[in-house]
Amino acid sequence: MADKEKRRSAALPSGMSSGKVVKSDSDREFLEQAGVGDLLRGAILKMVEARSDDPIGFLADHFCNLASVTDSGTAGCGDEDQQQQQQSTGLAGAGAHEQQRLNRALWHLRLAHHSQRSAFSNNVCVAYDLLNLNGCLSQASENPEGPDGSLLVVPPDAKGSGGVKGGLYMQTLECLCSEGGVPASTSAPLLRRLCCQDHEAVPYDVFRHGVLTCAVFSDYIRQAQRLYAEVCCPDEGPASRALCSAVLGTLKEALETSQDCDANCFVNANTKSSACLEANAKAIRYLEASAKISPHKLAQAMAGAQTSGPGGNMDAKEFENAAADLFIARVKVVS
Amino acid sequence: MDCRSTQVLFYLNDAVTQLLDHKEEYTQFGLVRYFAEYFSSVKNSNHVLFRELSYIRATQHNRASFIRVFWRCFRQIGKSGDLLSVPEYRSLLQLLCPDFPLEAVQSASRIVLADDASDGLMSFSDFIYSFQLQFCYQEFLDSIQVIYQDLLAGKSPNTVIVPTSSSVEQLVSVATEESDREEQQQDVVDSSTLAECVDALCERFKHSYPSRTCLREVLEQTDKVSYYGFLQSLANHESINQTIGALPSKEELLIDPEMDQELDKLIAQISVSPGSNSSGSAIGGLKEVQRRASPRRNIHHRRKMEVESDGSTEETDSSEN
Repeated sequence: MADKEKRRSAALPSGMSSGKVVKSDSDREFLEQAGVGDLLRGAILKMVEARSDDPIGFLADHFCNLASVTDSGTAGCGDEDQQQQQQSTGLAGAGAHEQQRLNRALWHLRLAHHSQRSAFSNNVCVAYDLLNLNGCLSQASENPEGPDGSLLVVPPDAKGSGGVKGGLYMQTLECLCSEGGVPASTSAPLLRRLCCQDHEAVPYDVFRHGVLTCAVFSDYIRQAQRLYAEVCCPDEGPASRALCSAVLGTLKEALETSQDCDANCFVNANTKSSACLEANAKAIRYLEASAKISPHKLAQAMAGAQTSGPGGNMDAKEFENAAADLFIARVKVVS
Repeated sequence: MDCRSTQVLFYLNDAVTQLLDHKEEYTQFGLVRYFAEYFSSVKNSNHVLFRELSYIRATQHNRASFIRVFWRCFRQIGKSGDLLSVPEYRSLLQLLCPDFPLEAVQSASRIVLADDASDGLMSFSDFIYSFQLQFCYQEFLDSIQVIYQDLLAGKSPNTVIVPTSSSVEQLVSVATEESDREEQQQDVVDSSTLAECVDALCERFKHSYPSRTCLREVLEQTDKVSYYGFLQSLANHESINQTIGALPSKEELLIDPEMDQELDKLIAQISVSPGSNSSGSAIGGLKEVQRRASPRRNIHHRRKMEVESDGSTEETDSSEN
């Protein structure tokens, strides 16, 4: 009972209004010795960098990741980490480590939405570094001098230049699309455009372009799905083809209006050549494009379609694929 | 982001405080793992069990988590169809939070029973939704009550101030006007007037409140509304429930297939008498939660009894009530 009293009185001052808990000297010493300050400072810095929508979740994952890295035994927290731990104590050490790095990279990429450009860029950087095989990050680097392909899977020609392995890059993109709710069949044509060979080393700007494209694509497909849901009344079966075509037509027009700025945007992303004038032109084009897809325009198109246009129905899948095609047609093929 | 960073600071603060209170235990466990455990449990809403009231009330997330824990532990009572009284619900709450006050339970019961009698019986389902509203939006409801009293007293809505509940007495003693006598007798006010006042309150209110759309929706349904009628509608409003995110909808409230299985096994093993079923559910509820025990939770539990969780210690716990 006395213990409970003590606990309660210690906890009471740490309510939201007061930020400080009165700590005794011995408490301060203990915290210093244990390195709590540094631990928390590191965590908070990472959290501020990542600017996640869910800071508590971020901290939970951060500490779990840390625990699984520093512990030799089971971490005992998130399920993901337990799986990772079990994987890495298995025989396929290198493959499991790669999987672990992929998972962590994906986690970083999920933290901030792509519309939060600076936070997203930061996270892409971190993810890239995680996946970048320079040979120094791997924990299980028992024998880097060993025969090719035994532990480190980087073939000799890619080692010096540094870059993410093509296969790993494609895996990242696939995961991003599927986690974003895009079915594999819909994302397949996109991934073909962004495809890099397994053995190729993917430089940073290509990596960033691919990741950004997939993130935007996932959002786009979700919006297309929602758009179809608006157009279609579930009770009455699939939506009329005419209506869907009209909607898709409007979408296409909008995308075409913004096409030039999109192309420039990706190409110039990492060069400093975007002049003020170009930025203004881009902004105007985006405004024009969004005007084309305004509710008013859409309503006009749909009203027109009801009187004329192709007959028959279009189901959700077809609509989604058609919308996807519109997007993918504008994606630069990676050479 | 501002509200979230305050919350993060609060949890960091509490994590360090807890660490200091149980130095040896947690140092053995490992510091990084301790923080991982702590924040994981906050993320998964498992962090409020056996904590003190001030901690549970400190953040909206904590309050919602507490409701959820209460539901998971005791929904079997709902299934058995037992009607419980205020002191009985309070005892259940005290199993989860040792210093849980009676007043909060009484306030919740008033929403269900729509009067001051604290000796009425309530079903689990009725109680929990009202309790959720009361617990999660307590400050808001207190302010609404003040506004309501104002309107009953005939004060013009334009001069409504929003004091704390301690100054209710001052306002009620203001001279009442002759108009709206009939309304006063029935204890109802004009819904649209109340809606205006509630909207004005939300504009500057610093604590959490239910969505304004939902509030307006409820008040649009009738011309006149009573205080408890209003609160009852809020308690049973599905959107508000979903926003809080702690409880499923009313139809799904009592569904718990895992626990059903566990109880079936238990019942098959022990000899059953009519009285032991409901206490068995309370025990079973606690057992389910403690299966996910961590060193942190065990410490709180250990303060009541010597050993790590198993069946015998839980029976001691419930008999202490």
